[in-house]
Amino acid sequence: MQSGDSPPLQAVALDWATAADDLPRTFSSREDLQQTLQQLFAQASGELSPIVGGWAAAQERLAAVDPGAYGRSRNHLDGAVTRLSPYIRHGVLGLAAVRDAVLWRISRRLEGEKLINELGWRDYWQRLWTQLGDGIWDDREPLKTGHSPESYAAELPADIATGTTGLACIDGFSAELTTTGWLHNHARMWLAAYVVHWRRVRWQAGARWFLQHLLDGDPASNNLSWQWVASSFSHKPYIFNRANLERFSSGRYCNGCQLARRGCPFAASYEQLQARLFAIEAMPPRR
Amino acid sequence: MNRPVVWIHGEALGPDNPALVAHPGRPAVFVFDTDLIERQGISLKRLGFLYECLLALPVTLRRGDVAAEVLAFATRHQADAVITTAAVDPRFAPIHHAIACVLPVAVLPVPPLVELPAPGRGTTEDLRRFSRYWKRAEPLIWQGWNEPGHDPITRRG
Repeated sequence: MQSGDSPPLQAVALDWATAADDLPRTFSSREDLQQTLQQLFAQASGELSPIVGGWAAAQERLAAVDPGAYGRSRNHLDGAVTRLSPYIRHGVLGLAAVRDAVLWRISRRLEGEKLINELGWRDYWQRLWTQLGDGIWDDREPLKTGHSPESYAAELPADIATGTTGLACIDGFSAELTTTGWLHNHARMWLAAYVVHWRRVRWQAGARWFLQHLLDGDPASNNLSWQWVASSFSHKPYIFNRANLERFSSGRYCNGCQLARRGCPFAASYEQLQARLFAIEAMPPRR
Repeated sequence: MNRPVVWIHGEALGPDNPALVAHPGRPAVFVFDTDLIERQGISLKRLGFLYECLLALPVTLRRGDVAAEVLAFATRHQADAVITTAAVDPRFAPIHHAIACVLPVAVLPVPPLVELPAPGRGTTEDLRRFSRYWKRAEPLIWQGWNEPGHDPITRRG
C-alpha cells in the first residue's frame, strides 16, 4: 500500500451515459479506492496489495523482463522473476503478446527457452481446464504417499492461515501471501508441501486459501500445481528440506528463526524426511 | 448487430481485448460476481487489482448476477447483440447461455500461445503430462524465430 496521499487514480473516460448505481470510476487516491471497495464488498477481507493493477503497470513489468537472467536465477527468491503472472492471469497481457516480447528481445534461443517454457506451463494448465472443467478440484490420480485420502484434514489449520506456526519461513510465506497477494513460485511449492505433507491437510484446503489471496489466482494453474505437490498429478510427492530452502532464500528465514537450532521439521536428509512423512518403501523423492 | 454492447470478463482485461478492438466506442460492461466473491471468500487485494485493471479500460462497472447485469446494460443501451471474448473458466458457459437466451452473443477468439493441430476425430488432446504437450508445442512456438546471423533456410532442416 502506498503511504501518505497517493495521486488521483486516472480512469479512462466513458463515451456513454452512466447510471446512478454504476460502480464509481473516479477516486481521489488509492486509499479512497480501498475505502470504497471495503464498503462495496464488505465481506472481502484485508487491504489493497502494493502490486498495482492495470495496463500501464503491466507494460512497465514487461519492459523490465530479462529472459536470460530469468532462466539463470528464477529458482532463487531474489532471482530475476518477471512478476507478470497477475497480468497474464487476467488477460491484461495475453500469452501471445508476452511470447512475442520475449522472442523479440533475445539474441540466442537458449536465453529465452526457460521463460517460453513457463508460458507453455500456463497454456498447458488452461488447456487442461478446458478438458477437465470443475474436475480440476478432484484428485487426478491416486496419491503416492502411502496415506489414505481420508487421513488428510479437510480444513487449513488456523496457525498456517494466520502465520503463527513459529516457523519463520512458513509464517513469512503466509504473511506475504495474505498481504501482497503474490508469492515466488518456489515459496508456493515449499508452503504447499508443508501444508499437504508435514501437516497432512487435503490439497484442496490449501488451494482454496491460495485462490482467496493470489492476484494471479487461477483455479487451473493453482489446483493442478497443488496436485503436483500432493502427488495426485505426478509420480511422486514433492518435498524439500532445510538445505534446499536455505540455499534458495539465502538463509533469510533460518537466520532469524527460533527453531533454527532445535525443532526445525525440515532439517533432515531427503531420505529421513521421506521415511518420516510417507508410508512407503524406498522411493526416491522429487526435489 | 448494429448496436452491440461489449461484455468484458476477468480473463480479458487488456486494451487489446478483441471485442473492444472490434467495437471501439460501443458501451462495455464488467460485472463483479458478488455471489462468487462471497462464496469463495475473495480478498480485497484481488478485487482491487481487478478494479485498477478495469479503470484503464472504457468500461462501466457493475456488481451482482453477471448475466442479469449484462442484459440490463444491453437494454439500457438498446443493444441488439452482446460481443465478448472466449473464456476458459467453466462458469462462462452458463452465463453465456443465459445471455444468449435473450440476445445474440458473439464470442471472439483470443490469440493463443500456440496453435496445435487438432486431435484425431473422437479423441481428446493428450494432456496427461506437460512433457507430451510441450513436445508438440515447443517446436511450433520457435518455428518462426531465427537467431541473428543464422540463415533461416539452413536452420529449418
